[in-house]
Amino acid sequence: MTVTTGIMVGGIYALVALGWVLIYKCSGVLNLAMGELTLIGAYVSLSFYSMGMPFLLALLCSLIIGLVLGILTERIFLDKLIGEPVLTVIMVTVGLSFFFKGTVEFIWGTDTRVFTPPVFSIEPIHIGQIVIGQVYLWSFVAAIILLIIFVCFFKYTRWGLAMQATADDEMAALSLGVSARFVYAAAWAIAFMAAGVGGTLLGNINGLNISVGYLGLLVLPAVVLGGLNSVPGAIVGGITIGVLQNLCGAYLDRYFPGGVKEVAPFAFMAIFLLFKPHGLWGWERIERV
Amino acid sequence: MSTTWLPCGTYHQNYVHDHAWWQTKFIKAKMILLLIILFVIIPLVADSYGLSILNLVGYTILGAIGVQLLIGFCGQITLGHAAFIAVGAYTSTLLILEFPWPKILMDWGLAYPISILIAAIVSGAWSVLFGLPCARVKGFYLILTTMAAQFITVDFIITGYVSQIGGRGQAFSLPPGTIKIGPWVIDSDLKVYFVMLVLVIVCVIGVLNLIRSRVGRAWIAIRDNDISAEVMGINVIKYKLLAFYVAGFIGGVAGAFWISNLAAISPEHFPWFWSLWLVGVILIGGVGSIHGTIFGSVFMVVVMEMLQLAVIPLADIYPKLLVDFLFIKEAVFGLAICVFMIFEPNGLAYRWWQMKNYFNLWPFSY
Repeated sequence: MTVTTGIMVGGIYALVALGWVLIYKCSGVLNLAMGELTLIGAYVSLSFYSMGMPFLLALLCSLIIGLVLGILTERIFLDKLIGEPVLTVIMVTVGLSFFFKGTVEFIWGTDTRVFTPPVFSIEPIHIGQIVIGQVYLWSFVAAIILLIIFVCFFKYTRWGLAMQATADDEMAALSLGVSARFVYAAAWAIAFMAAGVGGTLLGNINGLNISVGYLGLLVLPAVVLGGLNSVPGAIVGGITIGVLQNLCGAYLDRYFPGGVKEVAPFAFMAIFLLFKPHGLWGWERIERV
Repeated sequence: MSTTWLPCGTYHQNYVHDHAWWQTKFIKAKMILLLIILFVIIPLVADSYGLSILNLVGYTILGAIGVQLLIGFCGQITLGHAAFIAVGAYTSTLLILEFPWPKILMDWGLAYPISILIAAIVSGAWSVLFGLPCARVKGFYLILTTMAAQFITVDFIITGYVSQIGGRGQAFSLPPGTIKIGPWVIDSDLKVYFVMLVLVIVCVIGVLNLIRSRVGRAWIAIRDNDISAEVMGINVIKYKLLAFYVAGFIGGVAGAFWISNLAAISPEHFPWFWSLWLVGVILIGGVGSIHGTIFGSVFMVVVMEMLQLAVIPLADIYPKLLVDFLFIKEAVFGLAICVFMIFEPNGLAYRWWQMKNYFNLWPFSY
């Protein structure tokens, strides 16, 4: 049962991790602001929901706002940094994360908020021997549906193919008439949307406060596990981290009290990096002087 | 080798002159003036509030020098430096509170100075432990392992285990009078200020000297390109770990110093925010420059204080602002980093350099 819950939560991580990998693949930006993106999405949809909208409509509205914010963020901050050193870009995303976090706390406060009335009923579902909360199940289903939509988007639409081309070889894509600036903006917009949905679902599980942003940070171990530039890697990594986290919470907490659940993914990641620095399916770059 | 611009007609005839700290009499006079201002004039004129801000600046400088060493000189990006500061602070506190000091050391007031040294060594060793992955990974992956250092050290080990020692609950309180250096009990802002000044000057001069030595040149070579550094015969792993050790050492000094200013320490004093804050300080000050660390620290602390002063009058109109100040601070800090990175990637140190050049060459700047 712990494993099942882990897989369900991992589905959400996978969704957010997909957004992260997308930004990295398309524009080479290592984004440390992912947790705050989930926060913003979650709070926006919560606001819409408590204004009396149906849940799906609220989710849709937060997707639209995520789209706009993503494009704005890219245009205002990241657009000027193409070709700058890694540290500069990372620190801009760190700055962005503080900016977003401060703004969110300023607007919505730090108290834990819940979706009232609850979106999903608290009656658990029995599948054979396994008992799962409805929230987990529906979150997982939603995450999987969105993952499928995104994957189809990349495989079959014109824009998705353009993004794949840019990710593969920017110069070749540019010479074939793909607008790189459009692709960057689209990557950020999609990342914002994916993170927003992920945040909303996470907020439904435990209530919504700043710590959801910390959960968003857990995508970093997930993407490192899968390899930074691999979409299937992100999905597998997300689910693995979800399972690992729940297993540690269930079994190790007795021996090491005090938040093993939060730290375990990072500790695991630090050890994992010692053995496989490029993740499971990441590209190994051969460096030349 | 010399990094200062010499006036026209002054030149060196031997290496001793070339390596001298103060290359001309004028520079020497300037530096002595600075020391007089720091040691005599500021303590005379500044009130308790001003001194407390200066102490915060000093703490930030001590913390940020280590980050500057790692990021600016060795190219190893760290986002977990607060963990090492925390290790230093906790080691020093535990030593003072729990260690059975021999009576003679207590009488001579040596317990705190010795604990600073031990704290620095322990925190350097802890830093090396988390620097070990740098042997295999670099860039973004190293950032993640240092982040892991922050979460494992502060949020897990210190909160869960170290804080339980002695059964004091979450915070260690330091009773007044426990922190003594020689005959002086460190109990006022003024005395903390002098401790800070001595530590900062020692650390800054130590790091400056280290950077112009063989070790520093090896670090800079690694920063610029670690593969070519290895080809040139530099033991890359050794020097990277040494950088981590020195950075952790100074971080430990910073942590051990800061407990003299606090009545109690708890894990909340060393959040992840503080790690990122230190990185922000060196980015705004200028990466790869010790001056930059100092400028960045002064700038950030003073700007935040001014922000606070600006918020207080507004609080009459919007009382909510006072509560939300922390969030405004975070947002402004984030925005400041973004703006500096986009419009002034060389930081304040570069502006300072330009200004100095302008006046050195004035009025004929060509």
